[in-house]
Amino acid sequence: MEHAGTGPGWALALEHSALGETLRQALWLYPAANVLHVLAVVAMVGSIFAFDLRIMGVARSLPLAALARLLLPIAAGGFAVAAVTGFLLFTADATAVWNNPVFVYKLGLIGLGLVNIVVFHLIPWRGVETWNTDLPSPGLAVAGAFVSAAAWAGTATLGRLIAYF
Amino acid sequence: MILPNSRKTLAAAAVLLVLAATPAAWAHHGWGSYDSTALTTLDGTVQSVSFANPHASIQLESQGKTWFIVLAPPSRMTTRGLPDGTLRQGQTVSLDGYVHKGEPAELRAERIRVDGKSVELR
Repeated sequence: MEHAGTGPGWALALEHSALGETLRQALWLYPAANVLHVLAVVAMVGSIFAFDLRIMGVARSLPLAALARLLLPIAAGGFAVAAVTGFLLFTADATAVWNNPVFVYKLGLIGLGLVNIVVFHLIPWRGVETWNTDLPSPGLAVAGAFVSAAAWAGTATLGRLIAYF
Repeated sequence: MILPNSRKTLAAAAVLLVLAATPAAWAHHGWGSYDSTALTTLDGTVQSVSFANPHASIQLESQGKTWFIVLAPPSRMTTRGLPDGTLRQGQTVSLDGYVHKGEPAELRAERIRVDGKSVELR
């Protein structure tokens, strides 16, 4: 099986770019990006799970708005680092990864997770002052927390599985 | 605002999405796609070398055909004593590995013998 290969033009161009070449040839850049990608995902998914659990009803004495000020920047920062390092890893092997069906599903789950964030902040989160502490979260917020946990756990799972399919 | 069972529906949809990825994925090429029940030994001549991330590879002329041999990441090759340049076109090598279940001329090497030394790749 030839790996230097076939795929859409943009993926070929990315793979053959100077950046792609550097990632393939430099001994430690690719492993370093790989490690940073994992650390970023750990920070992001961990903080998201903590926030989701609080919305689902765990530790209701913790004020949600205050918790959000700690956890959401960690999640956003983790996402930014994961996106950059993920792009670097993709560039090294763009056509093969693009042809890997697991990767496409992973992108789909990332899309679902991002749409969920937007919907969550536009609708239930607006009224958070009324259920900030010691109260059950509204159904729509809880549903969003479940979608979030599933989407990001699925994203991390499929990310790991790219290497196995 | 929200249907009583929409939570379950959403959870089920997420699970289905993950499961849906599986059948299409079997066709592809991953670590599990090599037949690890039969260790195969190949002796042959190196046609070309790619010392690149995520894993190095060579084209090997052996048993009358050209094999695609998957080796280890360049960083591991280097620390185990096979840095860039030590594998060269025209060299005679011997290796043990597992043949791909769907690609009869692709082999994932477990070890390679070159220049009188044996290097473990896993």
